[in-house]
Amino acid sequence: MKKKWLLTMLTFLLVAATALAGCGKSEQTGGGKTEEAEKPTTLVYGRGGDSVGLDPATVTDGESFKVTKNIFDTLLDYNDGDTTIQPALAEEWTISDDGLTYTFKLREGVKFHDGTDFNAEAVVFNFERWANGNADTFPYYGSMFGGYKNDEGHVIKEVKALDEHTVQFVLKRPQAPFLKNLAMVPFAIASPEAIKKYGDKFGENPVGTGPFVFKEWKRNERIVLEKNKEYWLEGHPKLDKLIFVSIPDNSARLNALLKGEIDIMEDLNPSDLAQVEGNKDFQVFKRPSMNVGYVGLTVTRGPLGNKLVRQALNHAVDKQAIIDAFYAGQAQPAKNPLPPSIPGYNDAIQDYPYDLEKAKQLLAEAGYPNGFEMELWAMPVPRPYMPDGQKVAEALQASFAKIGVKAKIVTYEWATYLDKVAKGEADAFLLGWTGDNGDADNFLYALLDKDSIGSNNYTYYANDELHNILIEAQTVSDENKRNELYKKAQEIIKEDAPWIPLVHSTPLLAGKANIDGFNPHPTGTDKFTKVQFK
Amino acid sequence: MAELARNEGNVVQQEEKATSLWKEGWIRFRKNKMALIGSGIVLFFILLAIFAPFIAPYDMNDQQLSMRLQAPSKDHIFGTDDFGRDIFSRVVYGARISLWVGFFSVLGSVVIGSLLGIIAGYYGRWVDAVISRVFDIMLAFPSILLAIGIVAVLGPSLKNALIAIAVINIPNFGRLIRSRVLSIKQEEYITAAKAIGMSDARILFHHILPNSMAPIIVQGTLAIATAIIEAAALGFLGLGAQPPNPEWGKMLADSKAYLTQAPWTMIFPGLAIMLTVLGFNLMGDGLRDALDPRMKS
Repeated sequence: MKKKWLLTMLTFLLVAATALAGCGKSEQTGGGKTEEAEKPTTLVYGRGGDSVGLDPATVTDGESFKVTKNIFDTLLDYNDGDTTIQPALAEEWTISDDGLTYTFKLREGVKFHDGTDFNAEAVVFNFERWANGNADTFPYYGSMFGGYKNDEGHVIKEVKALDEHTVQFVLKRPQAPFLKNLAMVPFAIASPEAIKKYGDKFGENPVGTGPFVFKEWKRNERIVLEKNKEYWLEGHPKLDKLIFVSIPDNSARLNALLKGEIDIMEDLNPSDLAQVEGNKDFQVFKRPSMNVGYVGLTVTRGPLGNKLVRQALNHAVDKQAIIDAFYAGQAQPAKNPLPPSIPGYNDAIQDYPYDLEKAKQLLAEAGYPNGFEMELWAMPVPRPYMPDGQKVAEALQASFAKIGVKAKIVTYEWATYLDKVAKGEADAFLLGWTGDNGDADNFLYALLDKDSIGSNNYTYYANDELHNILIEAQTVSDENKRNELYKKAQEIIKEDAPWIPLVHSTPLLAGKANIDGFNPHPTGTDKFTKVQFK
Repeated sequence: MAELARNEGNVVQQEEKATSLWKEGWIRFRKNKMALIGSGIVLFFILLAIFAPFIAPYDMNDQQLSMRLQAPSKDHIFGTDDFGRDIFSRVVYGARISLWVGFFSVLGSVVIGSLLGIIAGYYGRWVDAVISRVFDIMLAFPSILLAIGIVAVLGPSLKNALIAIAVINIPNFGRLIRSRVLSIKQEEYITAAKAIGMSDARILFHHILPNSMAPIIVQGTLAIATAIIEAAALGFLGLGAQPPNPEWGKMLADSKAYLTQAPWTMIFPGLAIMLTVLGFNLMGDGLRDALDPRMKS
């Protein structure tokens, strides 16, 4: 008996000793490596989730765009730090006076990764492909260009190749954010030959003109891209290899960075900020905020169909407390779906104050004096607008419990989660949005218009008055008039309360101190063309 | 008349034997210090679980976000977690969950395992072959993997975790009982019972089962310890207790991001798991020494 105990204890000690020794050792080699390495040319980017697909037109999630942004180019691109338009595959463009005809002069001598030529025909092919699709195949196209080929709201009348390097877009009605829309990641020009060759499998074999060539994708693990030696921007990209790895846990990802397994990490836990800032081998990057994290209240499901119930839930959330606890203050409370940095933001709107009595009263008025039960879905992966969805969900669960609403926290794997939420299967769900083009249209129309149901309007909220305003705002080119319309739109949304807007966060990234040329873009997708190690 | 007398004699003899086994066991158990300490710990946690509402100073789910990650103090003797909930209250209520899962999952596996084991052992032939092979298949899986698989099918919840743990432990008990039955079956009193035409059910449940009780109790106590760990592991993986339930393993998982800044968020639930498991193991070891005939010196 005694002997057995002694043996157990000894084994224990041995295991502990081995484990500790292991820790020390790996840290040493990690440190040694960085010292002796000359100038690395492979950058490993650690993020929270895997991509859904690599054909950017078929997906709407940021994790996919981050990768495709580097494989593909768009006709136009954004400036480094903001969403001002600059030339990319199109070198120059002219707009007719009526705002209906856009003519683009394309860059010459550009080749796709498969060796075929990039030309006006390729542009026409891509736009035809999307226009002939539907909300299932190309969800983002519909929400940005008013639907598909035979839809009444479809903005693009035709796309013509005038010659080898000139392409012309004719619109049915003016669309103010048209150029910004063209610069969005999902509307990147893909190789027509590769699309024909791979068909449905193109999302696993992406071929574009971008700075990096797709090499390999191990699901939920890594995506490897290699330098495009023929890239049209002289002397770029600087890196030989760009690897995206998925490490779902924020702390584990930070450990990987500290141990030198990755070079840049996304979604640094706000609570770990001090630790990284205090270490001279690393630097912190703050992504300019252009996002919103929210609780969607699916209006087609049970009690949530009642506006009063949705308003009551709005009253039950203490946003500042959530920000202090789970964002370490690196966020501001949201009252509108639009982030304040975007023109058209309505600052005059009063948020529903945190008021449990008022919330209970509204519930009683709605016919639920004793509350009700519902599911609250929490995303399984950290998002820039929500570093820890599970924790936020748990805080919300406790808040809702105080007004008698029993929420059961539910979660799914990320791709499934998005898929099910898009189908309207969730009651209340956590989600968020990072603006893709810096325009109000990309938030309000994309997320809350009835046209976007099935693509990005996950709450199934539909309001005709709002729809008319949002469509009008698309066609007006006068900035002030547009902003007025968007302000009105935000009032309607506030009243109908399909969301509980939670936060606009400042996403934090951390990387090695010797990384140069990395400026996190407000859209959340970065091009690594100019990034290098010092 | 004669038959009746013989029967009576049989019963009396059996009772005497049983009393002496349990009595003897208790004497041996009492002398074993480690076993007594273990039982003390177990009793402590059982009382904690029963009187949780009186012991816990706060509501286990009451969030005070402004009071998050407070170090242990006079107000919160175990500190607070990242939602500002009192960790002491949560650990106390957590005892309810862990013991509940431990007892009932083992009870489930004992009942089903014993039944299958008895049938396999007593009837032999193809019945035995089928049941034993199924056990073999189940034992071929690492138990936690099998549990994860079962929960994945049923959906994550505490109840399903309990079912999963019960299922994965069935073969252990089944095999144990089967081997006991195989040896008891050869005993003369069973042959005698058969000879006087006693029914199978009576032989199984009045003669074989009572004689297999000791190893079941020993194995059962030890299995509770394993079950508690397995429940904590499933909770840690998010497959067991769902928020806001204060399950110890879940508490560990929820706090792992704060290991360096607020170690008390992990230390106390961790200690609770360790102590209960230690308690059941010591008690189980003591019971084995006291009851298991094979260990008799």
